[in-house]
Amino acid sequence: MRAVVRREYLQRVRSKVFVVSTIATPLVLAAVFLVPMFFADRSQERERKITVLDATGVLYDRLAPRLLESGWTVDRAPGGDMAELRALVETGMTGGLVVVDERTLATGEATLYAEDSPTPFDRLTLRTAVTRAALEESLERSGVDAQAMLGGGNLNVELLSDAPSGAGDPSFWVAYIGAFFLYMVILMYAVAVMRATLEEKTSRIVEVIVSSMKPWHLMLGKILGVGAVSLTQLTIWIVAGALLGSAGLPALVTARPELADLGSIPAALPGLGLVTLFVAFFLLGFFMYSGLYACVGAMCNTDQEAQQAQAPLVVFLVVPVLMLIPVIQNPTSAMATGLSLFPLFSPMLMWARVVGGGAPAWQVGASLVLMAASIVAIAWVAGRIYSVGILMTGKRPTLPELWRWVREAA
Amino acid sequence: MTGPGGLALRLERVSKSFRDRKAVSDLSLDIPRGVICGLLGPNGSGKTTTIRMIMGILRPDQGTVTLFGAAPEVARRAKVGYLPEERGVYKKMKCLEFLTFLAEIRDVGRAEGRRRGRAWLDRLGLGEWADKRVEDLSKGMQQKVQFIGTVIHEPELLVLDEPFSGLDPLNQDVLETIVRDLRAKGATILFSTHLMDHAERLCERVCLISQAHKVLDGDLRELKAAERKGVVAVEFRGSDRWIEGPEVMRTERVNGDVHLFLKEGADHQAVLRRAVDAGVEVLRFELVEPRLHDIFVRHARAAPGNDGAHAAASGVHA
Repeated sequence: MRAVVRREYLQRVRSKVFVVSTIATPLVLAAVFLVPMFFADRSQERERKITVLDATGVLYDRLAPRLLESGWTVDRAPGGDMAELRALVETGMTGGLVVVDERTLATGEATLYAEDSPTPFDRLTLRTAVTRAALEESLERSGVDAQAMLGGGNLNVELLSDAPSGAGDPSFWVAYIGAFFLYMVILMYAVAVMRATLEEKTSRIVEVIVSSMKPWHLMLGKILGVGAVSLTQLTIWIVAGALLGSAGLPALVTARPELADLGSIPAALPGLGLVTLFVAFFLLGFFMYSGLYACVGAMCNTDQEAQQAQAPLVVFLVVPVLMLIPVIQNPTSAMATGLSLFPLFSPMLMWARVVGGGAPAWQVGASLVLMAASIVAIAWVAGRIYSVGILMTGKRPTLPELWRWVREAA
Repeated sequence: MTGPGGLALRLERVSKSFRDRKAVSDLSLDIPRGVICGLLGPNGSGKTTTIRMIMGILRPDQGTVTLFGAAPEVARRAKVGYLPEERGVYKKMKCLEFLTFLAEIRDVGRAEGRRRGRAWLDRLGLGEWADKRVEDLSKGMQQKVQFIGTVIHEPELLVLDEPFSGLDPLNQDVLETIVRDLRAKGATILFSTHLMDHAERLCERVCLISQAHKVLDGDLRELKAAERKGVVAVEFRGSDRWIEGPEVMRTERVNGDVHLFLKEGADHQAVLRRAVDAGVEVLRFELVEPRLHDIFVRHARAAPGNDGAHAAASGVHA
């Protein structure tokens, strides 16, 4: 069996696919989250220019930076003559004219003169900017710290229970991206096991191998080999991530101060304890799903068949991803607790709850034990189906047939 | 008579059905150590199913398989080499790595496996391909690599399913030489084929099967000697009307001779007497060593439950 593990490992690690996927997977993950943000940014930049006619004399200085922030180019109206200003808009010298006056200070109302009807998003940013400027002005006139107040104040949390703390905005992202990442890698490697199994079956090499070892050992060897590859890849990612976080980012921020925002990322990155937990969830999830996927590979004869047969398994992987947001937002609800204790969902959902801070230690422990027990159960059933299926040709078995395999296999 | 300890392989009343179709029916077979045995029969007669049961890929519905006097699982791993009919390789692996892997899963050390793999590749003229991927080799070369994989752990029993199919005549000869060589070193070889002339050249023992049933098995020379009475070559002058008779099953003209295929138990003396009585001049009357093909045809017809045996036998190429 050692030979099977070694072959599986070396063949994979040496292949181009391994190098490409090591580099590409983080990029894909980044793309999934960053591209929408990027395009959101882009759509704001498209609006070029807006002109403000400020009748109050105080609002422009508050409005301008806020509008700049949302991607507008702002200038002050050159004069008070409405006809001239309208001409500016009509000739396209400016994208729009916003008029603010005393009424704005009182009610937040303002008027926009524009050629085209503004998009809902533009309406929103303009309205927010105007009302915010007006609010700040009025609040400060009455002696209130407008920045702090409008910044949402601050709630100092002092936990009295022993639930792990760590709530806050960055942890949402760690929980969400981490769980999504778990989904991706578990699926990726489980499918790799399925493909390898299917390839051995269709090329018939399996007949030679099975005449020299138990099918169960072959399956175990494959899973361990692919598992070792996955650990290698995870280690590369984690080390690369740690280097980037601890050395790369500060250097980048020093070199290009305008990227100072990035400097806050390392603080949000998970610590060693969480990384360990992440790897544990991954391994347990991988062993559960790879056993099931190996079975699917063993009972099918073609790629297309396998694609269909794996559909039910994909559902088990996708459901937790769909449940991520509700679970992270309300990690202690009965639903979140129940779902995250279901072994096939645990890797993603329990991770999300742990990082979100809503899972007591005993539940985390329970999920680990349940997953380990599931691995044993899956190995027992999958090993039997695999042993029969890997040498079967012809029609894909039906569920009753599968059950017969499980009962009859030695 | 060899005791069970002297047997490389024993099948006892082995049967296997797929759905309603009987693939192998009540097959018993003993193969002593150190012989080359051919498993012969037309396509679809049950050869591959038998071999797959020997290799543990299929489980017999009834009957037992014994390898070297013990349960098959014990010996199969390290003592048996198997070349399946459908050739499978790891396409992406380099030849030598692939061979080393196959050696390793049969308990040969890595270094030793490499050494043997290289030696075999050199011997079969594939030395320069050692570090090429298997998929870059031609079909014939892949087949050679696969054959090396079958023998790399120096098995005591070789089970080869249609080893000659897909090989050009030159490589068929190479393979025959190697098989004889391994036999000389003490290995037992069981191979299936539907090509009777390979079997005739190579085998010491044969087992003929047709339509899931064993037709006969035994030492090839003894079988032939026993069958000698079955075919008579006659050279004669005169009318050939005397030939038709109760003993004669069919006739065939070979190089001016007439070959008479006699029915089971028929007396060739009676045939000669009839020829003399008919007044023809008999120039030569000879009991011919029958070809394997002829033996097969005779017995496939005679075997019970084999109504369609002739149709089956016509799939056998002489």
